[in-house]
Amino acid sequence: MIHGTTRRASRGMLREWRLHALSVFSLAVAFVCLGAALLVVTNLHAVEERWSHAGRASIYLKDSPSHEDVEAFKTALGSVPGVTSVRFVSSGDAQSDFAAQIATSQKLAALPPEAFPSSLEIEVRPDLPDAELSEIVRKLKLLPAVEDVETYQAWTERLSRLVKGGVAASALLAIVVFASVLAVVGSTMRLALQRRRTEVEVLKMVGASDRFVKGPFLLEGSAQGALGAVGALVLLAALFAVVRGRFDGELAALIGVEPSFLPWSLALSLVGVGALLGMTAAAAGLRKLVTV
Amino acid sequence: MFERDEDDPPPAKAAFRPLLRAGARFGREAAQRPILVFEDVYKSYRPGAPVLRGMDLAIERGEFVFITGPSGAGKSTLLRLLYRAERVDEGRILFMGRDVARLTTASVPFLRRNLGIVFQDFKLVGSWTVFENVAITLEVLGMPARLIRSRVGEALERVGLHGRGHDPASVLSGGEQQRVAIARAIVGEPALVLADEPTGNLDPQLALDILGLFEEINEAGTTVLFATHDRSLLDQRARRLIVLDEGKALDVPNGAIPVGCDNELAI
Repeated sequence: MIHGTTRRASRGMLREWRLHALSVFSLAVAFVCLGAALLVVTNLHAVEERWSHAGRASIYLKDSPSHEDVEAFKTALGSVPGVTSVRFVSSGDAQSDFAAQIATSQKLAALPPEAFPSSLEIEVRPDLPDAELSEIVRKLKLLPAVEDVETYQAWTERLSRLVKGGVAASALLAIVVFASVLAVVGSTMRLALQRRRTEVEVLKMVGASDRFVKGPFLLEGSAQGALGAVGALVLLAALFAVVRGRFDGELAALIGVEPSFLPWSLALSLVGVGALLGMTAAAAGLRKLVTV
Repeated sequence: MFERDEDDPPPAKAAFRPLLRAGARFGREAAQRPILVFEDVYKSYRPGAPVLRGMDLAIERGEFVFITGPSGAGKSTLLRLLYRAERVDEGRILFMGRDVARLTTASVPFLRRNLGIVFQDFKLVGSWTVFENVAITLEVLGMPARLIRSRVGEALERVGLHGRGHDPASVLSGGEQQRVAIARAIVGEPALVLADEPTGNLDPQLALDILGLFEEINEAGTTVLFATHDRSLLDQRARRLIVLDEGKALDVPNGAIPVGCDNELAI
């Protein structure tokens, strides 16, 4: 029975291949939008993960501290629970690092060392709770020699808000995609049903149940949805490869994370959702089966 | 053969359970019962213009019956009521002892598996081969492929299309297409074959050939209901004739329309 249904479905799709190809293309376009949104969210999430566990803080010091002050600071900080290492960056070191990063702008690179405050770079345990890190920062800010303390919390919070916005946008896009799948596959099925009216009439005349008649159409709808999603993934992967090949180094340096494509599980889920939606849309389109 | 497919819905309360099939062994009591009974059947499509009004009719097993009458007399309606494309307004249609009008929608496919239906416009799927057009009847029944191949081969041989299984149905002539439709109707060995103007699109000689095919099918034990308004066909054979007029059925057992009635009936 399953073999017969598959055979009739593939025969129907081959016979009406232009109609089905157009439908698959439309679905692929819709799925590309959703896939692109998911790709952005996935990578933003990776960046957020990376920076939320950065476990670093920069303590900017007032004026130029003496060597003894710095050593005393380092010893004191080293004994704070959660702090794993302390490194002193002098004004000169900071200026050299900056000049190395901004190689293209000579004016900026020519800034005097005084423009760069000396700092203590501390690393904390990655699993250190945010509350404890905030408490350490609060206490450090109270010290008279400390100008400012910078952590990545504020940045990761902004990134987190961005990811949440991305997820919301993806959810909206998903609704649009679901609606378009329902509309495209439903219309295709109604058209296919109209074109194969005689076939349906014959099936009903020889005593086929509605399930027998609908089976191939449901399979076709499912295949359309899945093929649309696969097409979108292929297109997205090609675009991703182009973008990655062009910007990889710069992107990685900027965000600290190498951009990655959608994970397999998500890609497979997209195909599964496509198939399921396609089948649902076909079922909805076939509600009014030829009555004989 | 009439087992349920995996895909079929479970038999409903009023599921059609055939009592007999052509060629099957049956009890004496069942054999004495008419295969088809119309009891006081009413059907109208518009208020005040009934197509059938209180029609009574009984058809015995193994009979060959012509149904005739002027256009709009209700020949096709009678057949459509029988295969449940339409529902009666009043009355009963008993097929093998079951009231067709009271079948649930889920049971209608089971009814149709016991009928072979042939139409004037053949109703073949042009993009399918001859084999596929005939085999679909058995595929619906869930038969294994090997059995389907042999049964379809036999059916095509019976209608004179042996070896034509691979031809696309669309390239066949009208007469050949009707033969394929007949093969499709008989391949499942139904108890009753309904033919709705099966020769309407064929020339007189082909029409006679097709009529001959139906007679052969009848001789093998299958009951045949042959609806036609072609007087020349009726004149060729002295068969039981049901003349439909003004919603009633006039039964002419030997096919000889009483003098004076033919003009009145305007067949």
